[in-house]
Amino acid sequence: MGHRDIPVLDTQRLVLRGPEPQEYPDFKATFASYRSRFMGGPLNGYEAWMLYAAEIGHWEIRGYGMWMVHLRDTDETVGMAGGWFPAKWPEREIAWILWPEQAGKGYALEATHAVRRYYYEQKGWETAVSYIDPKNLEAIRLAERLGCTKDAGAPSVDGNDAVYRHPSPEALRGTQLAHGIDMEIAHYADPLFKPKGWALD
Amino acid sequence: MTEIPVLHTERMVMRGPQASDFDAYAAFYASDRTRHIGGPKTRAQAWRLFAADAGHWLLKGFGWWVLETEGRVLGTVGLHHPPEHADPEIGWNIYEGSDGKGYAHEAAQAALRWAVTALQPARIVSYIDTGNTASIRLAERLGATRAAMRAEHDPQAFVYVHDLDRAAT
Repeated sequence: MGHRDIPVLDTQRLVLRGPEPQEYPDFKATFASYRSRFMGGPLNGYEAWMLYAAEIGHWEIRGYGMWMVHLRDTDETVGMAGGWFPAKWPEREIAWILWPEQAGKGYALEATHAVRRYYYEQKGWETAVSYIDPKNLEAIRLAERLGCTKDAGAPSVDGNDAVYRHPSPEALRGTQLAHGIDMEIAHYADPLFKPKGWALD
Repeated sequence: MTEIPVLHTERMVMRGPQASDFDAYAAFYASDRTRHIGGPKTRAQAWRLFAADAGHWLLKGFGWWVLETEGRVLGTVGLHHPPEHADPEIGWNIYEGSDGKGYAHEAAQAALRWAVTALQPARIVSYIDTGNTASIRLAERLGATRAAMRAEHDPQAFVYVHDLDRAAT
């Protein structure tokens, strides 16, 4: 499957589509910013463009990859989420990145939950990990909200990252964990039930 | 995006990158052959470039081909234009054991001919490291002429301007 066949994923607030050339400026701005410090950035313009090209090329080479995450209401982009498996990665990763100004609204949770469901239910993945810098508390917190647990026995990319193992497909089928994730997303979508916040550490 | 076009030359098929091409690509980038094009690179770094070669097609409508003859991969030739570079560039990378046989010349001619028809570019250049004598010879053989100024993004690179009228024929 190449880029032209990328499926569209719909969630309550989001639409996930294949990345397009005109969406590059938001990607570039994020990877030029401090936000990208745990993802190999900040990058200069050439590096950022080559990485964006690689995000798209990943679909051509692997048949899956990272989606661009849009708001359903306005179509503006808020980040990317999807599968990521470059050379030297021990196993397939579920990854996400949000533009700095879009953090804190539950978009990464909603998008990542949707892409994980797609890979589990449509593509037959039995497991997945997320490789996270141990200093990236925000990402660790999101991984834990998604039900991931630290897998100390699994190989990391380069020894500087922690491996968070996603719950299995079975553990997400009609379970309390699955309902909890759905409920948290629903709370973000309906501000009447806005969560009261969480511990940072 | 349209499909990556497949070009047929006298001796080669030029097609889009596939996962199975990566080992040869990484071996090339691990070698000293890449000293004039920013290498050597680790396998992880090479994969980024490899994926970007494929993604380039969607971003710009042109990109890199893998050169194949009788099931054997010889190298890559492509058109490359990140926003930081002034002009679209044609580049060529021939793997060890396949050089000296005119493959880069043959593929570059086909790529230029395709580009002139499909893209109607104002200019196509090759940015070539001043010490890369083999590439300089090839650019000259293709009819390119050296511009007076070095590349804006890289003072170590000559700018060879291709003759698009000649490329079309």
